[in-house]
Order: sequence, then structure tokens, then C-alpha cells
Amino acid sequence: MIQAWIAAFLTLAIMSFLYKDNPVFRFAENLFAGVSLGYFVGIVLNQTLKPNLYTPLVTDFRGNWDLLIAGGIGILLYFRYIPKVAWMSRFALAIYIGYYVGVNMLQKLQGEVLPQMQSALKPINGFNAASLNNLIVFIGVLAVLCYFFFSKKHEGAFGRFATLGIWFLMVSFGAAFGYTVMGRVSLLIGRLNFLVNGWLMHLLGR
Amino acid sequence: MADIVRKLAAIDPRIIYLVMGLAVLFPILVPIGLRVTITPPTQSAFDAIEKIAEGSRVLVSFDYGPSTSAENDPMAAAILRHCFARNLKVVSIALFPVGGDSVARDQMLLAAKEFPDKKDTVDYVNLGYKDGGQAPMKLMATDFKAVFPTDAAGRPYDSLPIMQDVKSYKDFAIAETLATGIIGEWWANLVNAQFHLDVVIGATAVSAPKYYAYLNSGNAVGLIGGLKGASEYEKLLVEKYPQFEGAYKQAGVLTATKGMDAQNIAHLAIVFFILIGNVFYVLMKRSRRAGDAA
Amino acid sequence: MMKRRIALILTFIAGSLGLFAFFFPGVPLFPVWPFVATANFKSASDRLDTWMVIVAGFALTLGVVNVVQTHGRKIMRQEKGWMYSVALLGGLFSMSAAGIYGLQPTEGIGKYTDGTSTPFDWIFGNIFFPLQATMFALLAFFMASAAYRAFRIRSFQATLLLAAAVIVMLGRIPFGEMISPHLSESITGTPGGAYLLPWLTNWIMDKPNSAGQSGIIIGAALGAAALSLRVILGLETSYLGQGKEG
Repeated sequence: MIQAWIAAFLTLAIMSFLYKDNPVFRFAENLFAGVSLGYFVGIVLNQTLKPNLYTPLVTDFRGNWDLLIAGGIGILLYFRYIPKVAWMSRFALAIYIGYYVGVNMLQKLQGEVLPQMQSALKPINGFNAASLNNLIVFIGVLAVLCYFFFSKKHEGAFGRFATLGIWFLMVSFGAAFGYTVMGRVSLLIGRLNFLVNGWLMHLLGR
Repeated sequence: MADIVRKLAAIDPRIIYLVMGLAVLFPILVPIGLRVTITPPTQSAFDAIEKIAEGSRVLVSFDYGPSTSAENDPMAAAILRHCFARNLKVVSIALFPVGGDSVARDQMLLAAKEFPDKKDTVDYVNLGYKDGGQAPMKLMATDFKAVFPTDAAGRPYDSLPIMQDVKSYKDFAIAETLATGIIGEWWANLVNAQFHLDVVIGATAVSAPKYYAYLNSGNAVGLIGGLKGASEYEKLLVEKYPQFEGAYKQAGVLTATKGMDAQNIAHLAIVFFILIGNVFYVLMKRSRRAGDAA
Repeated sequence: MMKRRIALILTFIAGSLGLFAFFFPGVPLFPVWPFVATANFKSASDRLDTWMVIVAGFALTLGVVNVVQTHGRKIMRQEKGWMYSVALLGGLFSMSAAGIYGLQPTEGIGKYTDGTSTPFDWIFGNIFFPLQATMFALLAFFMASAAYRAFRIRSFQATLLLAAAVIVMLGRIPFGEMISPHLSESITGTPGGAYLLPWLTNWIMDKPNSAGQSGIIIGAALGAAALSLRVILGLETSYLGQGKEG
């Protein structure tokens, strides 16, 4: 039960911001920031560094000695905090950034550009609902891409087509807003449900 | 009249907060029990699991944290119930750093309690969280053991019967990601696009509109969008497996279906705010024009 | 200059290894191949993936040092709001201590076999979870306020946005079905027909929304791919900072 009280206090402390900014909210906010960072420390140590670095080195050093290099690169990242050797952290950063941009490049081209283009190019054969929908999608994708093409001035026929792209984007953003409302309200439902069924009902003995 | 409109247009936001809070609180206190209709993306997600042969392995990735638990927890519960009802072997992982590991543990524990006949490490296992995002996702396509040398409880990979003969994504029938952010996109545009593993996405409502593009391109085989999607999945689950009806009718337990009651009132409140705000805007504009003309 | 050049070379190697492994997986990795017969681009790329899981772990906690420095300084100098820094560092150290305690073989960071929580799990469930969940729940209130005060029909485009938002918001709740006329199968193409608002919402999400999102995805992906290539080739170096040394 003490757990429910602590959770309820912290929930209400954060919600008190709705009335106005106050010390209780500030305390809860800072506690949240600290605990979040501490959470990272806990999971990184237990779920990554121990099973993927420490244990392989201890159980089979010969087959895993190269993991020392990975550990070294990781530690090099922290050299940024020591002014005299901060320049060494750039090597670690270079490897880290280089790896992920390499992954991203392939991912974007093969996983996004090609499939999305393929899905926009569907058959338009005859006057039926499927063809009409395929035409709408094709025109929509093309119009949006025209809108984002800023190397050419948006005037004349091209400008009008780009305006059509804006209309498609407005419908997308409107739909996204509708879904965002649903998403945010869901989170509120979760917290209010906890306060009612997870705390107050227990308090009232139900 | 113009004064009243001006005052209402600039009303204290705390009154709006109060109305919003009451709109959500009322259905929690007094459940309404409104009907849920199924949409094609959720039906596709459900059918994708139904098609899998019994005994196959499925990968469930917990890529969310407490920030979106209210939406993703009901999806997780429904998917795990579905998998266990179909006697599928569940391997769970987590790739979201802000709480993913802990929600995975909690959800797997809840599912295990509901299915005491299912054995840990034989019928299901939680491999835990791994850093790196795309790095472990790429590596799982070649060497699963290199990513997860132990499970979440520290047991060695080779000691887990469920992971025997598992080398890569090829040993799984499907992956289901319960995602809050970009990680769900990576399952679609990295894992499905490069390694051809079917992916079902359980997305928060905020990201669901974007996932329609991935659904239409074939990078996802099903989409559960937000609390509404979760309520649809619950309905499909109860229709096909009536033994779960009791679980969804338990008093005090928030399910997606019950949450839709509050969603209903809250959406009406927001639509009302938008419309009334625009009515006041138009009235104020007219009175300003009339004042300028005078 | 030399240090910067080394960093750019490292970026190129780390970035291009995955690309070479994708296109030429079986090609021997010549510097290593004479010593390790199985060394090819694919195996090297896989090993780099293994390394990056570890490096990413170190990177995730990089901010901890900065936070401890900043807030520690604030406490020592008793600057304005230093008491809150005590709360922050208190939360940080207790959660970290619980995580370090969990490294022992009999502990862990989940639940014990009898179902009770380890210290780490207890702090997560009773402090971290309610704090983070409530932080995000506040957004619902701010959104309601923004919808009332800022969502204005100032132009045709804004009206289009509003119309789509209202249709989707109503179409995704049971109320939308209650106020909608039932359309026949011949109009909707759905077996048994469908109600207007939910059907229209499905269509909006599946067609115009999907088209808009596809356009955005393609445009953003092309931009990201171009930027990635620039970084790999050393044409974009802003991530290395402005340092004078090397």
C-alpha cells in the first residue's frame, strides 16, 4: 500500500503544475530527471556491459579479445570531460557517427525510398474504385514531392501542383492531429485510472 | 456581447484543464460500455498471427516505456494472450532504453501468471534489453547469440531450450514490435526491408498515421494503432477465444475497450473546444471589423 | 590537421564497411585475410555490429558525467534552486546504486523468484513509472488548451486540416458511428456496408494520409541518405566540432 501512496503522491505532484508552477512539482521533476539517468546506468551495466563485454572476456578471452577495442572506444567517449585529452574522444565519436550514418544510408534508400515509390506506383486500369484510389495516392505522392522540391520556383503549373501537395499534407497533418489527440488522452486515461482504481479505491477499502 | 465573447475567448486555461479532466474521469467512474468496430489494419495484424503454424517462434519486441504504457500495455497483453492461445513460442526482447527492459519483464510476468501451463525457457523467454538500436537489429539477422549471450535473468543462451537452433530472424515466423517512436520504423524499414521478416507494428496513436505508409508499402503486415487499435484487437481476441472474456471484464483493470469510453467523451470535448474557439474567433473578427468601420 | 584526418578516415571505414558488406559480402578483407581465412566484409561488418552494441551502451550514459558536474557545482555554490539539484542527484545515485547492486548473480534488476521486487525494480515501478507516465499525461491538458486557443480557421488550408482532424477524431470513437448514416456495400466496397464517419476515416488514413506520409518519407529519406554519404566521404564534418587542434 505504501507503494500506491508514493506513486499517487508523485502523480499528483506532477499534476499540480496544471494549477501553477510550485516547489513540489519542481522536486518531482528533478527527481524524475535523476532517476531516468540512473535507470540508464542500471540497464547498461546489467543488460549490455556485463553479458556482452565482461562475461565473454572472462569466459573466453582468446575468442573475444577484440571486444577490448570496443570497450576502449566506449571509454574514449568519456575523454571529452578531461580537457587535456578531450581531442581523443573525437576518434570514438567518428567511429560511432560513421557506423550509424552508414547503416542509415542503406536503410533509408532500401527500406524507405524504394518501397514507398513502389507502393505509389499501382495499376490504374479502368474506371473503378481501386484505380481511382491508386490515382489519388500517385498524384498525392507526386504533389508532395513537388512541394518539397525547392530548387525550382513554385509558380505556374508547377506551383499549382505544389499547392495540391500542401493540401495532401494538410489532410495528413489533420489526421495526425486527430490521432495525437487520441494518443495523449490515452496517457491521461492511464494515470487517472491509477488514481481512481489503483489508489482511491484501495483507500476506500474497495 | 463583444465583451463576453472576448472574456470567453481568453478564458483561464485551468478551466479547460478541469473540463478535460472531468471528461476523462467520468467514464472511469461510470463505465459506459460502447461498441468497438474493427478496422482493416488491426484485422490484418490479427490475421497475421492466426496464420502462423502452432509451435512456431515469434519475436515480440518491447520498444516502449512508461511514457506510452497506457496505449502499449493493452496491446502487449492482447498479443501475448493471442500467441499463448495459439501455442506459439514467444521470445521477447527490448530495444527502447527508457523503460523497455522493465515493461518487458512486467508484461511477460503477467502473461506467465495467466498461463501457468507454459514453461519459462521452453515456451517463452525474455532475453532482455540491448543497447545500440540498429546495431543489434542488424546483428540478429546473422547471429542471435552474439546479441543476447544471456537472457534477462542472466541464464546462458545455450541453456535455453527455446533458443536451440535459433541463429537468426529466419528461425522466427514473425516479429511484433510494440513501439513508441522510431524503433517501430526500423523494424519496418530495416528488418523487413533487408531481412524479409514479417512485422506487425503496435504503434502509439501519435506515430500510427506514419505507419499507414509502411503498411501500404508492405513493410508491415499489420498495424495496431493506439488505444483504439488495442480495443479492436481485444474484441477480435474475445470473439475468437471466448475464454478471455473474463479477463477483459475484471473490475478495476483498465483495458483498451474500457479506455475507449473515456476516449469517446474526451474526443467530443476537444472537438467542442475547437469549434467553440473558432466561433469566438469569427465573432471577435466581425466585431473588430464593425468597430474599424465605425 | 592530422588528428582531424584520422577521425575522417575512421568515419569512412566505420561507415563504408556496412555498405561494402551489403554489396560484396564474400569479398576477403585483405589486410586481415592472410591471418584469418574467414575474414570478409560480411564477417567484419558483423563484428563491428557487436562492438557498436557495447559502444552504444557507453554512449547512453555519457550525459551522466555532465549532469553530475553541473548539478554538483550548483549544490557546492548553493546557487538558486540548489535544493532541486539535491533531489536530482539523489535520484540518480540511488537508482544507479540499485543498478550496480543488481550486478550480483543473486540479485538482478527485475523481480526475485518469489515475485518481490529488487531495489531497481521497486524504484522503477513506484517512482520512475508514475513520474514519466504523468509527465506525458499532462500533454492531454495542454493539447485541449491549444485546441481551444490556437486552432483557428485562418485559410483554406487550415480549414482542410481542421476538417480532417474532426473527421478522424469522430470517426475513431463509437460516437462517430452513432451519428453517421449507414452506407451500402456498393458505395463503400465493404461487405455489409459501413457507417459514414468510420469509413471516411479509414479512407482518409489509407489514401490521402498515406500519400502525404509517403511523400514526406521519400523526401526525408533522400535528404538523410545524401547527408549520410557526405559524412562518410568527409564532406560534412560539423559533428567533429570546431577544435583548432588537429
